[in-house]
Amino acid sequence: MSAGEHFRFLENVLPCGDEGLKPFRSGAPLTVQMPHAQAEETRVDWGGALLERARAGDRRAFERLYREHVGRVYGLCLRMTRDAQLAEDCTQETFINAWRALGKFETRSSLATWLHRIAVNVSLAKRRRSGQVEPLPEEEEGMAAGEWILETPVEVQEIESAIGGLPDGARDALVLHALYGYSHVEAAQMLGIAEGTCKAQLHRARKLLRERLGVEVS
Amino acid sequence: MTESTDPGRRTVTTLRELPQSIEPPQDLWPRIEAQLEERAPGATRGAAMPQRRRGQALRWLAAAAMVASLAVGVWIGRSLVPGAGGGVAPSTTANRSSVPGVAPTTFDTTYVSDPRYERQRTALVRALQERLAALPAPARAKVSASLAAIEKAKKDLEQALGRDPSNALLQELLINTYQDEMRVLTDVHEASDPGRGI
Repeated sequence: MSAGEHFRFLENVLPCGDEGLKPFRSGAPLTVQMPHAQAEETRVDWGGALLERARAGDRRAFERLYREHVGRVYGLCLRMTRDAQLAEDCTQETFINAWRALGKFETRSSLATWLHRIAVNVSLAKRRRSGQVEPLPEEEEGMAAGEWILETPVEVQEIESAIGGLPDGARDALVLHALYGYSHVEAAQMLGIAEGTCKAQLHRARKLLRERLGVEVS
Repeated sequence: MTESTDPGRRTVTTLRELPQSIEPPQDLWPRIEAQLEERAPGATRGAAMPQRRRGQALRWLAAAAMVASLAVGVWIGRSLVPGAGGGVAPSTTANRSSVPGVAPTTFDTTYVSDPRYERQRTALVRALQERLAALPAPARAKVSASLAAIEKAKKDLEQALGRDPSNALLQELLINTYQDEMRVLTDVHEASDPGRGI
């Protein structure tokens, strides 16, 4: 092993209790890289250890967290902004803000959810700055949480395009609730709107999707 | 869901089947890393604050302290100091020298912790309500508003100094604010003196 390879190897390992160093393959989730029996037991410790190290200023640890979460953050930003360049900027800003606010992160909440909250704030702020603000629909009560099942199968490209064509507010609510699985309350909190407004936006999104895809969305 | 080699041609029957994770077209980490600060995140709030925001906060604090000083100076010039109706506000130095027993010539932190200052201030604050009662209502309202503005400026500055104790500008602003407060208290004391009037 050359010096460079050795260095890269050391860069890609993570301390794992008394068992010494284990190779870390960036890109794959941490749990996938451990034997199944170990995975459940050590999953939280690994995540926690990374967080602690990042909080202490370890950029390598923060890079690991970045690599683990960047896809979900970028996916959300892309769907909210509908612009690849803007989504990259939002993703970048999300992680920079997260680094600066790591000390305030409460470990009882999920890091992924926390990053999503930041990403939503950043994306909304960018959109506001670009003047894309639409009026909120009237609140609607009693709208049940649907499964967002399509009557007939639809191609990913087609449905992504239909989602991308929704008005901002309806798309935000749909993406957070139907794609990322946040509850009405969580999605409303993230978007800074009332729960009733969030439900109304979902109702609107469902109606528009139905019209644009030509299939029933239940 | 049916299998397809092209992810875009793959079909789904629920929205939850859409990919949550989408990799950005390029690695964003180098750009992010370039912007990360040298200091550990969250070590102190001041340290974690970006340089630009920190500068903005300082400018706001400086502006707030200056506005408070100016308002107090103008008000004293127009309302309280006898014979100052000519419209020229008294200078800070002149007012500072009017404080009995306290005549600082330079800004330094020893001024704040000076026991003479503490004694003088305590005595003035103790007599403040009584002295205020002797003032006309409009003047009383102005004094109260000025003291409240000064108190707010003091708290903001003390908080900022808690985060950045060695900041010379903040220290100076805090001393200035203490002096402004002292000046108002002294002027209220003198203005409500039965022998002097407003």
